[in-house]
Amino acid sequence: MSRIIVITSGKGGVGKTTCTANLGMALAQRGHKVAVVDADFGLRNLDLLLGLENRIVYTAVEVLAGECRLDQALVKDKRQPNLALLPAAQNRTKDAVNPDQMKQLVNSLTDTYRYILVDSPAGIEMGFQNATAAAKEAIIVTTPEIAAVRDADRVIGLLEANDIKKVHLIVNRLRPAMVQEDMMMSVKDVQEILAVPLLGVIPDDERVIVSTNRGEPLVLSQNISMAGLAFNNIARRLEGEKVPFLDLMAAHDDLFTRIRRLFRNSPRH
Amino acid sequence: MNDSSAPAPAILQPASDTPNLQIRFKSEGGRLLLLLPPEAEVNSANHGSVSKNDANQDGSNPDSAISSSNPAGNGANPSNWNELWQQLKQRLNAGERFWQPETAVHLIARDRLLDVRQLQAIADALAEVQLQLKRVYTSRRQTAVAAATTGYSVEQHSPVAHLNQPTEAGQSLADPLYVQTVVRSGVEIRHPGTIIVLGDVNPGGSVIADGDVLVWGCLRGLAQAGAAGNGQCLIMALRMEPTQIRIAEFVARAPETPPEQFPPEIAYVSSGGIRIARAADFSRMRLS
Repeated sequence: MSRIIVITSGKGGVGKTTCTANLGMALAQRGHKVAVVDADFGLRNLDLLLGLENRIVYTAVEVLAGECRLDQALVKDKRQPNLALLPAAQNRTKDAVNPDQMKQLVNSLTDTYRYILVDSPAGIEMGFQNATAAAKEAIIVTTPEIAAVRDADRVIGLLEANDIKKVHLIVNRLRPAMVQEDMMMSVKDVQEILAVPLLGVIPDDERVIVSTNRGEPLVLSQNISMAGLAFNNIARRLEGEKVPFLDLMAAHDDLFTRIRRLFRNSPRH
Repeated sequence: MNDSSAPAPAILQPASDTPNLQIRFKSEGGRLLLLLPPEAEVNSANHGSVSKNDANQDGSNPDSAISSSNPAGNGANPSNWNELWQQLKQRLNAGERFWQPETAVHLIARDRLLDVRQLQAIADALAEVQLQLKRVYTSRRQTAVAAATTGYSVEQHSPVAHLNQPTEAGQSLADPLYVQTVVRSGVEIRHPGTIIVLGDVNPGGSVIADGDVLVWGCLRGLAQAGAAGNGQCLIMALRMEPTQIRIAEFVARAPETPPEQFPPEIAYVSSGGIRIARAADFSRMRLS
């Protein structure tokens, strides 16, 4: 039984594509056949994060037009044979495809792939509707910031109205030091508004920038970072394993910080 | 929270106002009536194409999709259908506890244009919560044909005034609307009566009632009570942290510095403005 999961957020720049690339890679490393689908027509990025840009010959648009077969368009990852990418077209826009076509495309992947991760573009218009068309589950990615949480809330409402009831949350780019100083929303604050089960928390990490530029997902690095660990844990939770959450606050919870907190008014959202 | 003003008339828009009407469920004689809002008053160009479609087409239109990409197949404005659909799904998700399985539903479509796909979608959505669409009442020939094609008994009638809610003075409030849901950002719930929400109202979400508003949860969004002008209506919440509250034509926003604690509170109008009292003190105040 294939699992079709859309990764969406509403807000742009919160880490959907990073999550898709890393989760896809992590699941593939655990032995599953994974297809990642870039639904961001016109502003595609998923191929960059996986370092597969030079290997793209055909995109989803050509498959839909009948100019090539699906397996010709799928780009196999150079490092991990279990992972494949279905690229979007860069020279078109979000209106190049409609939801019915996306549904047909994604459903044709279910024969071969156990996990199909669809990377949604930002927004709630056609691109979002395309990405969610075939999905049965959703992962909402948000940063612990008021604007991102507001947009995520909107998107969750839309998903629920479209019968996608299995919605999970990833809180990305958390800065534990700032949370400790009450300068950033905590994971609990985010959960209070969004009220969906938490799948994982990813700390802010400079290495994401490096990994994007190199086209090498974080989960592949030998000297794995906290963020990479977090992605691996999320992959395990997706499989159904109960993995305790990493304690990101530990390094920042010392006596001095606690005293500082006592003497401050908490500026809440 | 003493900040109030008498703002532009736009604030007062009774929930029974036709352009903003939402779908409504109403119990009648053991059946559930599903009332659809009338077809929105769009510009004449659209109206022109609507009547043309009615004359040419005969019921089913395989091209019109339920999603937003809706080529001008059926007459209904695509964004209208989308909104209607979202409201329907929202209300169905929020009311599951209270319907007996296999309750019959009569769809009061009024002057809405619905095709076979849309009617089937409505029937399927109802079936998911164990409600059964039994009959369709409509004043449009195209809808009547589509309903008959889909297999429901139909009653077609000429547009009857009383099915479109008249906004005359002295109309009694509808039964309270009880929803069990989180009212998320971008969701608006309007009702010509009291609204009770079992759940939170998130920032960006709004609850607009002609009667009172009760939020058994956190009110973090917008709530308006007495939307038709009744300044005696109340807004009650277990946790009052709204972006804005409105009662009749009065508006108030949260104070700049939030309070330390959040006991259950009730907002009401007094001396030309909105006041907030602790729920525990409120009834004592009212009686004295």
